Amino acid sequence: MNSTTKDALWYKDAIIYQVHVRTFSDSNGDGIGDFLGLEKKLDYLQELGVNAMWLMPFFPSPLRDDGYDIADYDSVHPSYGTLEDFRKVLDSAHQRGIRVIIEMVLNHTSDQHPWFQEARISQENPRRDWYVWSDADTQFKDTRIIFLDTEKSNWAWDPASKSFYWHRFFSHQPDLNYDNPAVREHMWNVMKFWLEMGVDGFRLDAVPYLIEREGTNCENLPETHAIIKELRRRLDEQFPGRMLLAEANQWPADLRPYFGDSDEFHMAFHFPLMPRMFMGLKLEDRKPITEILQQTPEIPPSCQWSLFLRNHDELTLEMVTDIERDYMYDMYAQDRTMRLNLGIRRRLAPLLNNDRRRIELMNAMLMSLPGTPIIYYGDEIAMGDNISLGDRNGVRTPMQWTGGWNAGFSSAEPEKLYAPLILDPVYGYPAVNVAAQRESEHSLFHWMQRIIAVRKSSAVFGRGSIEFLYPANHRILAYLRRLGNESVLMVNNLSSAAQAVELDLRRYKGNVLIEMFGNNLFPRVGELPYLLTLGPYQSYWFRLRRV
Amino acid sequence: MRELIISELTQAVQDLARGFAHYLPRLIVMLILAFVGWLIAYLFKIILRSILRLIKFDRLSENAGASQLLTKAALPSATEMLSRFVFWVTWLGFVLLGISVLGILGLQEQITRFFLFLPHLFVSVLILFFGMLAAGFAARAALLAAVNANVPSPRLLSLAVRSIIMVFVLSIVFEELGLAEQTMLVAFGIAFGALMLGLAIAFGIGGKDLARRFLEEKLVRTKKEQDEDELSPL
Amino acid sequence: MEDGNFLTDDFLRQLINVGEVDILVGLPTHNNAKTVGSVVHTIRTGILRSFPRERAVIINADGGSRDGTPELITGVSIDDVRRGSGIYALRTLHAISTKYASTPQSEVAMRTILAAAELLRAKACIVMSPESESITPEWVTNLVRPVYSDSFDLVSPTYHRHKFDGLLMTNLLYPMVRALYGVKIREAYMPEFGFSGRLGSQFLGQNRWNDGIGENGTELRLTLAAVTGGFRICQSFLGKKDPVERRAADLVPTLRHSVGVLFSALESDFNAWSTVSGSQEVPAFGTDPELALDPLRVNRKRLRDMFVRGVSELESVFQTILAPSTLGELKRIAGLSEEEFRYPAELWVRTVYEFAAAFQKSVISRDHIIQALAPLFRGRVYTFVVENRNGSANDVANNIESLCLEFERLKPYLLEIWKSKQ
Repeated sequence: MNSTTKDALWYKDAIIYQVHVRTFSDSNGDGIGDFLGLEKKLDYLQELGVNAMWLMPFFPSPLRDDGYDIADYDSVHPSYGTLEDFRKVLDSAHQRGIRVIIEMVLNHTSDQHPWFQEARISQENPRRDWYVWSDADTQFKDTRIIFLDTEKSNWAWDPASKSFYWHRFFSHQPDLNYDNPAVREHMWNVMKFWLEMGVDGFRLDAVPYLIEREGTNCENLPETHAIIKELRRRLDEQFPGRMLLAEANQWPADLRPYFGDSDEFHMAFHFPLMPRMFMGLKLEDRKPITEILQQTPEIPPSCQWSLFLRNHDELTLEMVTDIERDYMYDMYAQDRTMRLNLGIRRRLAPLLNNDRRRIELMNAMLMSLPGTPIIYYGDEIAMGDNISLGDRNGVRTPMQWTGGWNAGFSSAEPEKLYAPLILDPVYGYPAVNVAAQRESEHSLFHWMQRIIAVRKSSAVFGRGSIEFLYPANHRILAYLRRLGNESVLMVNNLSSAAQAVELDLRRYKGNVLIEMFGNNLFPRVGELPYLLTLGPYQSYWFRLRRV
Repeated sequence: MRELIISELTQAVQDLARGFAHYLPRLIVMLILAFVGWLIAYLFKIILRSILRLIKFDRLSENAGASQLLTKAALPSATEMLSRFVFWVTWLGFVLLGISVLGILGLQEQITRFFLFLPHLFVSVLILFFGMLAAGFAARAALLAAVNANVPSPRLLSLAVRSIIMVFVLSIVFEELGLAEQTMLVAFGIAFGALMLGLAIAFGIGGKDLARRFLEEKLVRTKKEQDEDELSPL
Repeated sequence: MEDGNFLTDDFLRQLINVGEVDILVGLPTHNNAKTVGSVVHTIRTGILRSFPRERAVIINADGGSRDGTPELITGVSIDDVRRGSGIYALRTLHAISTKYASTPQSEVAMRTILAAAELLRAKACIVMSPESESITPEWVTNLVRPVYSDSFDLVSPTYHRHKFDGLLMTNLLYPMVRALYGVKIREAYMPEFGFSGRLGSQFLGQNRWNDGIGENGTELRLTLAAVTGGFRICQSFLGKKDPVERRAADLVPTLRHSVGVLFSALESDFNAWSTVSGSQEVPAFGTDPELALDPLRVNRKRLRDMFVRGVSELESVFQTILAPSTLGELKRIAGLSEEEFRYPAELWVRTVYEFAAAFQKSVISRDHIIQALAPLFRGRVYTFVVENRNGSANDVANNIESLCLEFERLKPYLLEIWKSKQ
């Protein structure tokens, strides 16, 4: 812990960069990204301005679900290096003021995990009770199936022990049995192992599904909350200042209990907001965004939402109505191959037709709505995707560093890369890469740098309250963020046409508006509605000041 | 003697010639004036006629019922009437001007009075015309309204409206012409008063039923009647 | 009210906020607080159900209501501030209002709606009656869809009606429009209808606004403009026509803004209608309208009395309008006893045509011509009611059809008297 401060609420001011070790940089020329490669690129993250990094699963795994099928919790996958290499990354990151958040998959293991291998040997094995077994596949029938495209049931037949085992995700990911105290104890020890090494937080995967009960949908059960409370209690006692981030794809009202009374998660992803930002942009109407944020309950002061535009999964449309989902599909994924499960497997830039104005607008909203923003690797340079790759691999292609050999990702032969590079004329690495964008002052990379710097210039973005203004022009999304004496005003034009808007700022009469990117003055607020004109997809950030 | 006769004759002829020479230019001027006047009057007539046709003056007068009046009196159309009137007045004006050039004593004063009277004549004709228009229009409007409102005696009502307006119009016309002002005023006062009294009595007697019906409709109108009456036209 | 500044600043500001729309619903009102709430709710439901993705707006043009009608309309906007309607809306649905005058004038209301439609570049527009009690969400769908999905320019409604409802429509407007313009539009003067932005813009630009006689009846002019302009017209079935309007208006004002408008349109449209012969069906959506037959009490005696009195009292007026033979015939039937009295179709058609020609020539004040038609129309209504008292729906329909054919047959007569001098 060098330059990272001791502030216990650090996660509220964080700007998180989501990266997969495998995809970022390859140091040993085997075609797969590794820890030492990542360490070399930490300067880049520092240059970009992010102050936290979320590493996706790097544990030993058969990699049938991108590492979310863990076969050993206390080690790292040999392709990415050694535990020692990981320590180096951790230390180097901390030296640069970058916190490190890692994945923890509590709900299930890989079917290759020794525990499961033991459990399936016989019904009497002591590990047997570490998983959920049944003689019939009729239990918990009210439970929905998440991976609709691949799984027919939440039960899978195990021919070895001649019974069914429970899995909420792929059938090669058996769910652990959290009714078993031994499982709970062991999983805390796993977390302790990594905390002692120095990680700053965990993203806990698939938390709503820990416990199963007949007659329920087996999600968000009170028993599950009890387990999380216990984990949090131990964390606070032994490792104060560390953070738990919940991945629970739920409606905001159902998510609220995961914050508990400041005694469960510190942070949780706001899943329903993201599709609505895309929807609002396409509809040119702020309604979906304001509506979902109105429905979002208050959370304890020490807790924080985590916001994102895109991530390693599909753009999930589980948390929208049928009308909205159909609309989203028709607008963003007319090609059926772009659809996966209940979502759209595309990156940010292709979703927005590589329209720089829309990319900037979406990022401006991401950075200014209440919550901690997460940037998915590559989106800061508008990388593209490859929908011909199966599952979600199309959005997990190698980072594009240069226009040279293998995009500067690896020195290996191109066919040895873990995934092919993007080569199309628009998004291909010769056109879209870090080196080129560093050179160009107008590049998205430099714009991202600036907006991150502006966001970091004030705590109001991470910690302030939000209040929506409702100008009669519904294409304008305007809100005030306030913290103490500081007030900032955000005005976003969701429309492809220039707009005029009149804002009711009477309460701020006498203030002048200072545009935060250029620090230039706008007229003083008076008694009349404040008239602004915005170009297509333009957004303004203003600081309100009395002078 | 012969010489005297000759000289007298010469004198007479010379006098006549002198007289003639004295009058001839005036006569010529008069004839020229008459001729030019005729030309100008004719021009006026043509111009006025085309203007009136252009603004569909006949239609206007028809609307007022003035045309009907003219037709009944076997007179030409209102446009023709007005054009001819202008023609004659203009020409007469020129002829009189010519005569005054002749310098015949006594005639001058009459001619001057004629010219002073002209504007009044014009205004009177106009008032009469538009008055008749208004009276005809109002009378028909009253007639139609009365018929459609199912009010008794529409024609009487219509006639009353026309009469009132005409009385007014005529009184204004006579006043404009300055004809026997006092007599006319008294006469019209009497006529008008009589008409009003007559109307008041007529309405008083006739309106009794009307008033009763009105009050009945307002106060004790039954729903049944109303439903029976109404059929939505659209 | 110059063209340049026809709309108020405040309304313009509201329009700026609404922005471009796909569907525009116009709602002219005047003291309709009793019904307008449910009408707007139904419209909104219709839009959200059938056109959830389209940008829509409800525009109220109010003629000086004092009962809070505009507030009832703007109060039901669906935006992010007010929620809780039970219907899920993808978008903001604006409902805005402007007061154009302190007295209702349908022409100004229509002009306001058309101007708004043009400014907002609406693709499909509908106008709804604020008084309708039988309106359902499907009305919105049925009026919008032909324009929005099938590229029609005018959607004229059809309704289930009582056989004695709308007799001016069945005895004059429908047959005359059909005979002269050659299209079978049942409801040429309609309280609800749909039109395309294209037609709206053209009509807005070409219609002679504020020309006096047609202060109301802009709807009829729009229909005729669509016909003469070669726009695509269709009919769409809505539902039951409201009995509310049975209490409607005095006959004379109704004649003014229906027949008066038609007569004055004939003058400017002469080149269009004089060359047409026969008549064409227009494409229809939805079920065929039916005639309701339930008994209805009509004060026939009064109808006939007013006819007879009209003929005798207005003789001097009729002399200027009607041909001597027609007037003679009218005087003859006016003298018939109640049992024998009948105003035959042929005589009625001649009457109407002679009125139209007299109107064109302005033999007397045009308004007086229209007023003089009222007692004669009552006589025709009497005959129609008597003839169809016990008629089945089919009989009544046949009767109307034969009247239409009579109008078509006598069209040359109209042309003849139209062209004759005086």
